[in-house]
Amino acid sequence: MRLSHVLIAIAAAPAVALPLFGSSYQIYLAELILINVVAAIGLNLLTGNCGQISLCHASLMAIGAYTTALLTTRFAVTYALALPAGIVVTTLLGASLGYPARRLSGLYLALVTLGFLEVVSIVIEEFPDLTGGVRGLKLAKLEFAGWPLNAGALYYFVLGVTVLAIRAGWGLQHSRYGRAFDTVRQSVIVAQALAIPPARTKLLAFSIAAAFAGLAGGLFTAVVGFIDPTEFDISASLRQITFIAVGGLGSVWGSVVGAVVLTLLPETLRGAKEYSDVVYGVILLGALVLAPKGIVGSLALLLGRFHGGKARLP
Amino acid sequence: MSLLALDNVSVSFGGVAAVRAATMRVEAGEIRGLIGPNGAGKTSLINAITGIVRPDSGSIAFAEQPITALPPDLISARGIGRTFQHVELFRDETVLDNVLTGLYSHHVYGVAAAIVGFGRARQVEADARREAAALLEAFELAPLAGAPVRDLPFGIQKRVDLARALAVRPRMLLLDEPISGMSEAEADAAVATIRALARERDITLLVVEHNMRVMMRLAARITVMHQGGIIAEGTPGEIRGNRLVVDAYLGDKDDHA
Repeated sequence: MRLSHVLIAIAAAPAVALPLFGSSYQIYLAELILINVVAAIGLNLLTGNCGQISLCHASLMAIGAYTTALLTTRFAVTYALALPAGIVVTTLLGASLGYPARRLSGLYLALVTLGFLEVVSIVIEEFPDLTGGVRGLKLAKLEFAGWPLNAGALYYFVLGVTVLAIRAGWGLQHSRYGRAFDTVRQSVIVAQALAIPPARTKLLAFSIAAAFAGLAGGLFTAVVGFIDPTEFDISASLRQITFIAVGGLGSVWGSVVGAVVLTLLPETLRGAKEYSDVVYGVILLGALVLAPKGIVGSLALLLGRFHGGKARLP
Repeated sequence: MSLLALDNVSVSFGGVAAVRAATMRVEAGEIRGLIGPNGAGKTSLINAITGIVRPDSGSIAFAEQPITALPPDLISARGIGRTFQHVELFRDETVLDNVLTGLYSHHVYGVAAAIVGFGRARQVEADARREAAALLEAFELAPLAGAPVRDLPFGIQKRVDLARALAVRPRMLLLDEPISGMSEAEADAAVATIRALARERDITLLVVEHNMRVMMRLAARITVMHQGGIIAEGTPGEIRGNRLVVDAYLGDKDDHA
């Protein structure tokens, strides 16, 4: 058994056993962590691998969350169908954003995605009859194809979906598409010389990132049971960027580690009371200065059995 | 019919002509040299052929198909590969990953297969790795497969660049100064490699190179550019004796000819 397998087993054991000993708040927190992991994996493929900065990842998550919520509450669709429907809708909207944005990069792309973020929040706020507007949307207890999703079942569902998402992200990253993303990030001219179409590749990265965001949003709906636009504002987008930057850009395990560490950090800083934001900021800054390749990238360098920030985990 | 045919190709940047009405033919199987002093327009010509810059006028055909208006990635897919003057490798990636990148268009599977990761994707990936391993073997890079490119000496990086370009399976390869920055011994080895490559893989070569000694040994025919125009073409012997060329290029004391 390889070291990396052992590490994953050690990390996974408490996650699997959590409902046996955890409080309901701890389970809820763990679910939020898992949702953040799913969102971060998608963003990392787009930003870390393909090099496209997106400030609207939270908006895509909102689209997934609202689609799932509206289908289950207003149209009485089972969650088992509403969740994939949310993913499809989000992917299509992400692709329709990615299509005009595929020839952009850097600052211009950041501005376009910022515009998209604004549009989504305005749409949510301006149609209160449908979306609940600024007051939010309260959801009834969900059922999954006839089965009520009680606390334990929901947790294992979110955990299982997250594991599949990690597997999917890892598969993509180590596929021809992952290599194409990495190539487009590093040099468009080289990508073209290697018969890799940059615009199509970026569009694909946008769509994939949107699919992960849509999934995260759909899970969020089920876990939180109440959604409002402030959950998906610019600070949520920025938080997701810090997940991947601190965890490790271009690495699925970086997404996982970043989302886990930075979701837990504010919880552990509760003791610092009014200074908690300052401490959070200092830790964030310190992590970025001391470990510019992210936690996973730096660990990889330390362990010496990895290469350049790209984890060689299974 | 010629493999590559340029007719009256002109390229300019903001009114400054980089290539003036260049017309040339490269036959299949040929090793063609492209020389000229700095600023003669060699790289601009290569950029026009590979689609990175669009010519203002003229036409380019490859294997009897017009490619003038095609985007660069489609031109690569048609079979025109290139290497870069200042090796454009992915420095943080391993030698193997660099070469695998070049296999994108030949080892194909869908996004869904990539997400699932089993079955077809795994099978195609295994094929890609075999092909990459064979390329590394051919360039004596196999022991370095897992090494990050940034740690390798420049001469070896050039070999990686060549191996990656070949992964795209080009019919024609444009080599932009393939031996620049190499020692004499490395350059000789590289010339032998390039010649063998053209012969064994049946690849037509267009080689831009400053080093005249190398060019005379490598190319069967040489095209000479000067101030954006093509001023001469012929065997190395003919080029050496060409008055225009001597004036424009070989007589130039600043050049390391």
